[in-house]
Amino acid sequence: MKTTKAHKFFNWVTSYSKPILILSFLVFVASVISLPKLTKDTRYEAFLPPQDSVLIQRNQLKETFGLKDPMVIAIKNERGIFNEQSLHIVHDLSEKLKAIPGIDPDQVRSLSTENNVVGTDFGLLVQPFFEVEELNADQARSVSEAIDNFELYRGSLVSEDKTTTLVIAEMLDSYNLKQHEVYNSIQDFLEDFKHEGHDFYLAGEGAVSGYLIKYIDEDAMRTNPFAGLVIALILIFAYRTVRGVVIPNLMVLASVGIALGLMAFFGVDFYVITNGLPVVLIAIAVADGIHIMGEYYELAAKYPRLNQKELVIKTMLSMWRPITITSITTIAGFLSIAFSSYMPPMAFFGIFGGIGVATALVYALFMIPSALMLLKPQRSKAFKSADTLDVFGRLMVRLGNAVYKKPKTIIALAIAIIVLGIFGALKLQVNEDRIANFQKDEPIVQADAIINNRTEGTSYLDILIETPNNEDIFKPENLRKIEALQRHVETLPKVQGSTSIVDFVKKMNQSVNEDDKDFYSIPDNEALISQFFLLYSASGDPTDFDNYVDYDYRLANVRFRSNSGEYLDERVIVEQTQRYLDKNFNTSEIKATQSGKLALDVHWIGKLGQSHFVGAAIALLVVLIVAALSFRSMAGGVLTIVPVLISVLFIYTVMGVLNIWLAVGTSMFAAIAIGVGVDFAVHTVDRFKHLLAEKGLSLQQAFQEFFKSAGRALLFNFLALALGFGVLMTSSVPPLNQFGFLVAVAVMVSFIGSMTLLPALILVTKPKLFFTSKK
Amino acid sequence: MKTIFKMMALLMAVGTMNAQDLPDGQTIAEKTYERNEGNSVKRTLIMELTDKRGKTRVRETTALRKYFGEERRLIIFYNTPTSVKGTAFLTYDYPSAEVDDDQWLYLPALRKTRRISASNRGDYFLGTDLTYEDIKLETKISRDDYNYKTIGKETIDGHECYVIEATPKDDDIAKELGYSKAKFWVDAKVWMMRKSESWDIAGNPLKTVNVSDIREIQGIWTLHRIDVQNHKTKHKTVFRFEDIDYSTALSDDYFTEEALVDGL
Repeated sequence: MKTTKAHKFFNWVTSYSKPILILSFLVFVASVISLPKLTKDTRYEAFLPPQDSVLIQRNQLKETFGLKDPMVIAIKNERGIFNEQSLHIVHDLSEKLKAIPGIDPDQVRSLSTENNVVGTDFGLLVQPFFEVEELNADQARSVSEAIDNFELYRGSLVSEDKTTTLVIAEMLDSYNLKQHEVYNSIQDFLEDFKHEGHDFYLAGEGAVSGYLIKYIDEDAMRTNPFAGLVIALILIFAYRTVRGVVIPNLMVLASVGIALGLMAFFGVDFYVITNGLPVVLIAIAVADGIHIMGEYYELAAKYPRLNQKELVIKTMLSMWRPITITSITTIAGFLSIAFSSYMPPMAFFGIFGGIGVATALVYALFMIPSALMLLKPQRSKAFKSADTLDVFGRLMVRLGNAVYKKPKTIIALAIAIIVLGIFGALKLQVNEDRIANFQKDEPIVQADAIINNRTEGTSYLDILIETPNNEDIFKPENLRKIEALQRHVETLPKVQGSTSIVDFVKKMNQSVNEDDKDFYSIPDNEALISQFFLLYSASGDPTDFDNYVDYDYRLANVRFRSNSGEYLDERVIVEQTQRYLDKNFNTSEIKATQSGKLALDVHWIGKLGQSHFVGAAIALLVVLIVAALSFRSMAGGVLTIVPVLISVLFIYTVMGVLNIWLAVGTSMFAAIAIGVGVDFAVHTVDRFKHLLAEKGLSLQQAFQEFFKSAGRALLFNFLALALGFGVLMTSSVPPLNQFGFLVAVAVMVSFIGSMTLLPALILVTKPKLFFTSKK
Repeated sequence: MKTIFKMMALLMAVGTMNAQDLPDGQTIAEKTYERNEGNSVKRTLIMELTDKRGKTRVRETTALRKYFGEERRLIIFYNTPTSVKGTAFLTYDYPSAEVDDDQWLYLPALRKTRRISASNRGDYFLGTDLTYEDIKLETKISRDDYNYKTIGKETIDGHECYVIEATPKDDDIAKELGYSKAKFWVDAKVWMMRKSESWDIAGNPLKTVNVSDIREIQGIWTLHRIDVQNHKTKHKTVFRFEDIDYSTALSDDYFTEEALVDGL
């Protein structure tokens, strides 16, 4: 019944091969036409959906206080920077940065742009640290002294050892998602900006985002063609014919092109991990082609008299079921990432990965038979006749014999892997660090290390302070609370320093009291504090405090600087800070909320562990259901998921041993590995069922048959997947690198499991579904 | 559409024709100094400062100004908000550009008068968008700082104005004032500036100033409102002048450091 329907269907497909091919081509073109619209988003904010309340609050805070993630340039002179030449360089660099397109000229901060606040015997003076025209050795020395007296800038703008000073430049909003252009301009500029004895380093969150865009671009240029090449080589080995290489590759091209084209069409951004998607799709999509072409050549060898149409229909009849089932399970793997991930980059990875696999299936069912119809029957040298086996076939048969002899050993080994894997899973460590997106020898990594070592760091925790009424921030009790908060958080590990309006108030108090250090404190008089700001505005720039207090003096921002961007460090800081805030703030008089990169990171990375396990569980469940339904047997379903379950547990052990973090890239491995790896088990169970139940072969005969035909195709399927994902290991983006490695290993374990453990289990447990003949 | 183009062409033709007959910029600048400002004036000055997010600070002050020969003295007493009540600002503007102006601020909470360092003429005045130089000139056009070019005539609020373009005489002046270029609209009848536009050192649009509600008070042409829009910071300042009184003679004692402390 079913077979007749399928027969009719493929009869129809092969009859209308040309219109189908034209349509396939048009759909492809229509999709890829949007590709140029694809925009890259490498900011850490991209990991939260736009409607996330923490993100919304973060954006409001940025808007209120004009905070951005800056480009940070460190100027290092081992003999100290407080000399005429170095300060000239600081000035020169600051001025030239202002002219770089994308840099907000009013938001460049350095020793040459910032104001010093000094008390003189007649008043308070707000003036630049130095005027470049008047710069000489004495001036340079007095700048050094000024920094000694300005706690705010010590450690943050100038390193404690005075060898390094920072120039901090913010970008215009119009350059959002174009940070790489600004990064490139600055990098090019620094190339030519040479000064003896001085080194320049470019880092900071803005630079990381900018460089990532450039970095993943270059990476994609390398890995994608390489993946295509690897796949082509495998196809050449498998079939040694032109069509055997070209046709599956066309399908792969369609899968990748349509998935990314639709992404661009729907305005979905390209994230760092999206970079892995083309390679992943190349590796996965080719599998359908491998199985179809394998069957085609096998049938061509077996039935040399068939014409092309009969041959194609026969091929498709035996292949449509397994490739549909395996595609559905793979799609399930991708979609379970989409369902379980809160983070848009991962959710979209799942959705468009699923679309890519679905596209591959559609093209496999329509385009491949149509394309074959344009050609004459052909035989592959790899399949000389039905009975002769090539080296790959012989290899698989030998494996089959081994399994047939020692099934119990294999099962014992599997149990050992399961036990180890459970221990590994319990010890998994969720962690993430943006700088770990780059290879360790990248200049930006070194720049980041130097800046974080010498200054207070470029990882920010912002705390928003809210009071009920205008000017409430000026209340001494509120300022004292903020001060106490600063002192407390600064004791936490990795927190190096902080800045708030309190620091300015104390500095002003000291200044109006003849610069007496005893007055570096918060005065008791609210009106006095208010009047300080009026006094300041008499000689200072009215926008000087924009980053720290709002125009109504009702809201304040406290910025903490940490020299670690690692989640595990960030979590400690954010959790401890929250405990402090719960105890000391959040009354009707004063409220405090954490924001900034640290708080955002902790918010979303904390969800990684959960989304990983939920994603893996959903994938397993869906795969179980699909398998059980298609084999109409629960036992069949359970058997099918055994190899992938073991592969995932095995990976946990690997991660534990190699100390690989469960991070953005790696956390997706399980769902993908399940969706992809289960294919081997599906083919194995399907084939054994066919050989035992339908053909009524004995176990020994079934083993022979299975390993020499299906086993061989699965071997190439495995090689394509493992080598395809392996290509990601050549990626210079470490998270993709690790993701590729983990999936490749998982796929290998699934393959070995499906080739050894599954047959062994069938042999030992003899499940009913294999032995109840339909007849 | 066509008619509009024709009209524009005509207007432009008229503009160029008239350019020859227009007074030159320097003459216009000199004229603004000849205007009667009254020897002294007492008025309420309300400052409304609005930041780019639309949050507004309002400060009500009493401002007294008196000429001592060519020297101009100005004292401002803050009345609201309460936190700055009693704060007072005093400035002596000397006619010679060589001599730095003197400025003091009295902070009642500190019970001390603070001398404010000689600021750049281009520095912002007490957190507003007007510079010390703008405050000093009120609606005059500097005689000494710019090279002028008269570019035409336009009407502002129904009043005929000469439009003059100004470029600082040298780089030092430009840096000091913070302008690379400015454009002034000067009322052809009362010789008050009604509008100005300025560009920063890098040539970006910086500020637009509008002077409005100019009426005769006690026989003296008097402005009642100044609007300043800072295009770079998106900050806005509105000065409103009320209860203007030229007739009451103001004692010299109001313009002293003692008066700063004692208040009105």
